[in-house]
Amino acid sequence: MDTELVGLYLSAALAVGIPAIATGWAQSRIGPAAAATLAEKPELTVTVVLLIAIPETVAILGFVIAVLILLQGGG
Amino acid sequence: MILEMSRIRMLGPRAQLQPVLARIQDLGLVQLDEPAESEASSPLGLTPEQQRHLRSVRRVAEDVDTAIDLLGKAPSSHRAIEDLTIARAALVAGRTRRELEELAERRQGLEEEQALILKFRPFFSTFREIGRSGLDLDGIRIFYLVLRDDDGQQLRQMRVALRDALGDGFELLSQPSDSEESAMLLAVPAHKADDAEQLLSEAGVQALSLPDQFEQESVGATIQRMQERLDELPEALAELERERSRIARERGRDLARIQASVRDHLARIEAMERAVVTPRAFVLEGWIPSAARPDLERRLEKSFGDLVEIETVSSEEWSGDTVPVVLKNPRLFRPFEAITTMMPLPKYGTVDPTPFVAVFFPMFFGIVLGDIGYGFLLGLLSLTLRFRSRANTSLRAISEIGLACSLFTIIFGFLYGELFGDLGHRIGLHPIIFNREEAFFPFLALAITLGLVHIVIGLLLGAAKLFRGNKRRAIGKGMAALMVVLIALALTAASGMLPARFFTPLIITVLAALPILIVAEGVLAPIELVSTLGNVLSYARIMAVGTASVMMAVVANRMAGAFGAVAVGILFALVFHLINFVLGVFSPTIHMLRLHYVEFFGKFYSPGGAKYRPFRHWSSRESVSDERMN
Repeated sequence: MDTELVGLYLSAALAVGIPAIATGWAQSRIGPAAAATLAEKPELTVTVVLLIAIPETVAILGFVIAVLILLQGGG
Repeated sequence: MILEMSRIRMLGPRAQLQPVLARIQDLGLVQLDEPAESEASSPLGLTPEQQRHLRSVRRVAEDVDTAIDLLGKAPSSHRAIEDLTIARAALVAGRTRRELEELAERRQGLEEEQALILKFRPFFSTFREIGRSGLDLDGIRIFYLVLRDDDGQQLRQMRVALRDALGDGFELLSQPSDSEESAMLLAVPAHKADDAEQLLSEAGVQALSLPDQFEQESVGATIQRMQERLDELPEALAELERERSRIARERGRDLARIQASVRDHLARIEAMERAVVTPRAFVLEGWIPSAARPDLERRLEKSFGDLVEIETVSSEEWSGDTVPVVLKNPRLFRPFEAITTMMPLPKYGTVDPTPFVAVFFPMFFGIVLGDIGYGFLLGLLSLTLRFRSRANTSLRAISEIGLACSLFTIIFGFLYGELFGDLGHRIGLHPIIFNREEAFFPFLALAITLGLVHIVIGLLLGAAKLFRGNKRRAIGKGMAALMVVLIALALTAASGMLPARFFTPLIITVLAALPILIVAEGVLAPIELVSTLGNVLSYARIMAVGTASVMMAVVANRMAGAFGAVAVGILFALVFHLINFVLGVFSPTIHMLRLHYVEFFGKFYSPGGAKYRPFRHWSSRESVSDERMN
């Protein structure tokens, strides 16, 4: 396969993969704390959902960058 | 919007305090508050006798609340009993509470006994074997053991260990149970019981201890007693349930009415404590929605003539932080108050974001899901939920929000030409704005533009909120909104979507506006501005989640042709569509909530408002006054 194309796909994969792993790691730390919080204070559900959703921005921006890499690189 | 509130002071003859309080409670419009004391007045306070009475009323209230909790389903009638004496209420509530607590205790005992016998159930067949073997149990100690043993290896090892320690003087019977555990009976001579116990403990084998009531003379009798008891227990539990149902049927309605009466009475006594008195007069203060004040005046005048005077407390005597908050929105927007009130209420005098949520939330949702088929499914579910829910409940609000979201989903489904993914294209539906499967850039541009509009509205709302108090910061917020727009336009010019000649003037304007922003908002303002631009980019999730949703639907449709048998393919496709629908509803909801709470509310929202809790009857505690005000 064309080396340039391999580089393109690899870059796109890394652009979305690394932030996704980072998001997963962040959420894995927030999740247990959130579960513990909800067990004691169920009224904080909204705050907890927001805290869990916040790291997802990184994965989503990574996805956008990956799409840009593929579209720009693919011409 | 947040309803305008007035702080009022009600004055009248001291002898009329109780009837006035009763009337105010009937009207349910005023949230009573502590009045300011003066030299001539003092808190009414309660006499020792009244305090004793208050304590006994609180006890009865606790009894009746507990009794109703123990009854399970709350009875529907809540009307107070007019001529109820506290003594009668105490008698009925106390007696019912005791009876129900005793029933609950007996039920718990029976359930524990049932659970215990079920633990021994795997031993039953082993017991029978022992009974049949004619084993003489005189001077024998029996251990009931549970062993996690898949291949019998541990059992063999245990036999060897027991033989080494006890010689041949033991009997080990095993019976595999339904689970992965084996139930075993170990019979050893009483004088060797300590050795066996130590061995079991060292081997980490769990030994169950037989409850006293089942210690019979023989193993056969024990198993028979346990089996009999296991057969009896369901009927005993059902009998207790019948007894509870009988009490609920006979006294549930009375209890609910007693609860309403006692709670009303308690509220009146507690309201009396909030009154301030002089030797001849009383003073009450509280909050009322300004629009409801004429109604209160008219009704009090009708009941008491000119004996009760109402005056407005000047705004200089109170601060905005103490004012209770009532949200009031047009009928169409009202369900979306549920989204706003998931956060702490906004402070009085600030902005109620509900109208903006009502427009943007379902629109964003529709842009993400954007599929005629999924939209109809969601609409159907929401309609079902709407007809199955009661008015003024969270479920009703959710169903109506769902309907709005489904409407936008169908509209955007038409605009994208999507019906269960690309099935729409196959049957001749054409995208009107763009095809989401291919048009990543237009979709991203739409998402970011919407984000820009949303954030700028948030910044302008923040500026409007600050304008009355801190004009400099208000100018700063307005300037930030302007700069975000200018930067976005400059980037558009740089990317070639606007003529390139606009780029330099736009950048010069941004640089010129920067010092004004720093003067108005402080040196951290540029960092805040960068963070705001990040907030705008966060709206890219609309495109990301939307693209993921449509791609899943496309994959589902391709499944139909990917399998040899058409029926299997269609089945897989349907299951995949169902999964995508569930994800497609759940995911945008979470993301759109986040966009609203973090990105949008963060620009202007001031949480910390206290909920308006008018002094009213227990029976009307759910949204009756809200309806009156709307």
